[in-house]
Amino acid sequence: MAEADRAELPMPGWSPLTEGYWQAAHDGRLVVQRCTDCGAHRWPPAWACYRCQSPGWEWSEVPGTGTVFTYTWADARPVPDSPLYNIAVVELDGTEGEPVRLMSQVVDAAKDHLRCDLPVEVVFEPFDDDVAVPLFRLRA
Amino acid sequence: MTDTGSWLRGRAAFVGFGHTRYGKRGELGAAGPVPLVVEAVAKAAADAGISPADIDGWCSYSGDSVEPAILASTFGAKHLRFTGMGWGGGGGSMGGAFLYAAMAVATGQANYVAVTRGVVQGGQFGNRFGGMGRTAAPRFPGLQTPGQSFALAARRHMHVYGTTIDHFGEIAINARRNAKNNPDARFREEITMEDHHESRMICDPLRLLDFCMESDSGNCVILASAERAKDAPQPPVVLAGGAMGAPYRWGQGMFGGNNMAAEDFASAGQRTVADDLYRNAGIGPGDVDLANIYDHFTPMVLMGLEDFRFCAKGESGPFVADGNIRLGGTIPVNPHGGNLAEVYNHGMSHVYEAMRQLRGTSSNQIDGAEVALVVAGSSPTPTSALLLRKG
Repeated sequence: MAEADRAELPMPGWSPLTEGYWQAAHDGRLVVQRCTDCGAHRWPPAWACYRCQSPGWEWSEVPGTGTVFTYTWADARPVPDSPLYNIAVVELDGTEGEPVRLMSQVVDAAKDHLRCDLPVEVVFEPFDDDVAVPLFRLRA
Repeated sequence: MTDTGSWLRGRAAFVGFGHTRYGKRGELGAAGPVPLVVEAVAKAAADAGISPADIDGWCSYSGDSVEPAILASTFGAKHLRFTGMGWGGGGGSMGGAFLYAAMAVATGQANYVAVTRGVVQGGQFGNRFGGMGRTAAPRFPGLQTPGQSFALAARRHMHVYGTTIDHFGEIAINARRNAKNNPDARFREEITMEDHHESRMICDPLRLLDFCMESDSGNCVILASAERAKDAPQPPVVLAGGAMGAPYRWGQGMFGGNNMAAEDFASAGQRTVADDLYRNAGIGPGDVDLANIYDHFTPMVLMGLEDFRFCAKGESGPFVADGNIRLGGTIPVNPHGGNLAEVYNHGMSHVYEAMRQLRGTSSNQIDGAEVALVVAGSSPTPTSALLLRKG
């Protein structure tokens, strides 16, 4: 990601509930929090399972494929001459329990091409030496 | 027992309201929000026929910084008896603040409870909106503005139900048309569908005229028990019912949660609040004479109409296209012009307009108005709503 693009975007949040997510992305894996008792995946990260209320959890690798649930475009943005980008909510494949939707971006979609329900797959975009960001690209 | 919310019916009254002039973003903020709220409280007390020193309870929402510590001392109140602050962001828990106030006066915790909101807007791109709750969810590249958040719901609604930008446009047109007669309104010029479509794209599918405009204002409404309100100078208006909450896994809503049930994604998040509200009040959507629906963004009015069951889920677009929300329609929406055209003050003006309509003093008075719905902002948890009726 170019410096100029990065400058206008917030740093990824880093907390005890999220650092494993960023570290896995740095290693090229997409992980989602999963209950060690009932197996339900959950998002956003939380300290107990919404389904069985257990406090036990682990990071669980998921296939990294999914579909575009919804999206918008940053037509107005703090740096107007910076490249247009979208913000997309992606519903992931291969999870247990309620659907898991991540907020991300579809990197290779033109404005007139992006649609709800399009299939996508994860790509990992380096942010700095320690952090990578899971983004998505259109899947054939 | 879950049906005991009905106890409150008719036991609390709205006895006064007051507000400052409505300024554009940053215009009235030189001395911060305190003088704005102080002015509003003084006006509301005058409307209620009391001294501000008689106010012995204070409620607000969204972490308002103008605390009772300031207000009770400023006005020399002899005896502070009750305070309440609603969680959440923007105007979501506005109705909740009124619910605290109503419960307090109805149960004798205080005689007069003021609900206040001071709004001074400014700062950087998208960082106002009442201090939204934040989630721990990693969400890079992330949402940067409230508009982007609600655009996600709008896009999904278009995809699932076939809603169009003409339907968004109708909400904006209705607001401006209603504001034309309202001397307090910031935007009183009518707009056309063409104006709407040609306005600048901000976050596709939302355009400039789908947004309300950030505003500065001080705001206050005073509640008393229905018994005490019998001595008030203004025509009586009572709370038929109130409700606050959120559906399953609504969480931070469009502000980073996005993992609510699919049926609630393209909604205002108020489906369960509506059910609780109608049950608590013993009133159904068919009994409502006007609906003041929080209109920070045009699509959220469409989704509010669905959540509060004025039309079936997914059918709000055709419903508004048929003219149902206009003055003279089956359910007039925001006769004052709402957030979009009157002022964005985190929902307080929706309460004022309900009071005016039920007192018979609105600039767009609806004949025979008996019951008014006030829907607080679609927002992170909790959101809320009120039903007011003539006392």
